[in-house]
Amino acid sequence: MRSGYFKETIAQQIDLTDSAVVRIWLALLVAALIVVPFYLNPFYLSLLTIVAITAIGALGLNILTGWAGLISLGHVGFMVLGAYAYAISTSIWKLDPLVGLLLAGLVPAIASIIVGIPSLRLTGLYLAITTLAFAFIINHLILEFDGLTRGARGIFVTRPTLFGISFKSDTAFALLCVALAAITLVATLNLRRSRVGRALVAIRDNDIAARVMGVDLTIYKLNAFITSSFIIGISGALYGIFLSYVTVEGFPFLLSIEALAILIVGGIGTALGAVLGTIFIVLLPEVTSMLFSLLGDDAARMLSTGAHELKSMLYGVVIILFLRFQPHGLVGLWRDSKRMWVNWPLRF
Amino acid sequence: MTYLIELLISGLSIGAIYGLIAMGFAVIYKSTGLVNFAQGEIAMIVAYVAWTIASHVSGNVFVVAGGAILFACVFGLAIERLVIRPMIGEPIFSTIMVTIGIAVVLRSCIVFLWDAVPHSLDLGVGREVLVLGEARVRSGQLGVIALLLVAIAGFYAFFRWSRFGVAMRAVASDDRTAMLMGVSAARVQAVAWAASCVIAGIAGVMFAIIHELSPTMFVLGLKAFPATILGGLDSVLGSALGGFIMGAVENLAGGYVSPGLKEVSGFIVIVVILMVRPFGLFGERRIERV
Repeated sequence: MRSGYFKETIAQQIDLTDSAVVRIWLALLVAALIVVPFYLNPFYLSLLTIVAITAIGALGLNILTGWAGLISLGHVGFMVLGAYAYAISTSIWKLDPLVGLLLAGLVPAIASIIVGIPSLRLTGLYLAITTLAFAFIINHLILEFDGLTRGARGIFVTRPTLFGISFKSDTAFALLCVALAAITLVATLNLRRSRVGRALVAIRDNDIAARVMGVDLTIYKLNAFITSSFIIGISGALYGIFLSYVTVEGFPFLLSIEALAILIVGGIGTALGAVLGTIFIVLLPEVTSMLFSLLGDDAARMLSTGAHELKSMLYGVVIILFLRFQPHGLVGLWRDSKRMWVNWPLRF
Repeated sequence: MTYLIELLISGLSIGAIYGLIAMGFAVIYKSTGLVNFAQGEIAMIVAYVAWTIASHVSGNVFVVAGGAILFACVFGLAIERLVIRPMIGEPIFSTIMVTIGIAVVLRSCIVFLWDAVPHSLDLGVGREVLVLGEARVRSGQLGVIALLLVAIAGFYAFFRWSRFGVAMRAVASDDRTAMLMGVSAARVQAVAWAASCVIAGIAGVMFAIIHELSPTMFVLGLKAFPATILGGLDSVLGSALGGFIMGAVENLAGGYVSPGLKEVSGFIVIVVILMVRPFGLFGERRIERV
């Protein structure tokens, strides 16, 4: 068994990784992610894009739900706000796409203060209910203010040109999404090991103790709300660009469930879990429909009529099974297998 | 004036349906401290089963009602035994997420087991139009209001006098002490699930009789949330009254302000209530505040 491995300074303790092997693998992964999009066919490219966009949203929700422990069913509300902020500012007001992306983050962040303040005194299921209400109210407001949002007709959005680089092609857009996902991942990892991240986790684990230790609950809970909805808004804007058409129908409530399912499946409260969970959940319906198509035409036809239902049913089953049998999610599985590898032949 | 009365009566009748479902929420919350997000979906499934019985076995009202109640009871027990009971001792977050999972699964079951087109559940009752003064109402609308009143009275008596009702209240107020006194918390939980599924099922069937049967019926569950929050999550009778209030508010908002507001008025009420009085009008439990 490995022993004599000690961390002596705080810097070592909060280091993202201290292993050269991990760094090499990471470098290889980054290289692969840059090269692979050039060789993928359009279907796989769109899957990669969706994975990257969903991962951004999941990482954002992870700050609020995973670290601060505030359950939110309003994920889709923030996404739709981000998408509309981008669509209105770029397609109607003809602003620069960079400004549009910034607004796509800022508008949900401001909205999250409005949701966050009444939510400060609520925890657990009450918060889930308020955020659920928020998601529905946002949809209503968007349909109601049709002078600004064009109501149910929706807004057409084109793919952006940022810093003089055009992201019109599928490959370029996929690369943009992957790059933004990578930036988000690094940003949230850094947030986690800063004072803010530690304070949020302290609030989740025991808010009274955290308060005694000098963590201002109001400020940090609002902070979690704002940061998380900023990121979710960006992912909503990217999703809108990906769909190339922003409507309320493009953002069904299922997206909220999907985001929570991702966190649970991946392992709640870890950034790695959010990424692994995204890959698992996004690819799950695709893999299932592939398996079904092997069964024959009847099964395939049934799937094509009920694709949305199949997806939601899979999410539900996966949520229940993971909570029941593997509460630590895919990250837990990964840790267990790592420990088994190190400690073999001893049982861990 | 007639318009106002008609709005109020149809509001109260839809409110009675919300009230029934809200009572289901409160029964489960009171005995297990859990919010069952799948309540609306359960109402929908029971209504579909009732429709299947009516169209394949017999259209007799009593046969359909008995079959639906029996199914709801078994269904509630099965969910509790298979999914909820293994989660005892897990954090509340996980159990809530499990009920959301159940909700999503049940919702999509409808399309696979039945189909996506609306049906009408015609049992030959509840569709006659009655004229009260100047307002015209359907007998089913009055029927569901009466049903809710009966359910309120029944639950009041149950909690007040029956041995099991007292055991339920004991578990709600302090489950550990109740268990020490020999109350089986697991059995209380099972009965609560069965009872809440039966109430939700009745609401679903009544809705299907008055309006129609469609895969979007689960929205009833979301609409009943405001009712139970308004009445207080831990107050069964308060939730029922909350249903009446919400139904009336929703219909008046829809009738006088804008049809879109009808859909979200409940959610706006939730936000306001949670800001002002988070434990509801009749609730008792204190909510932690920062």
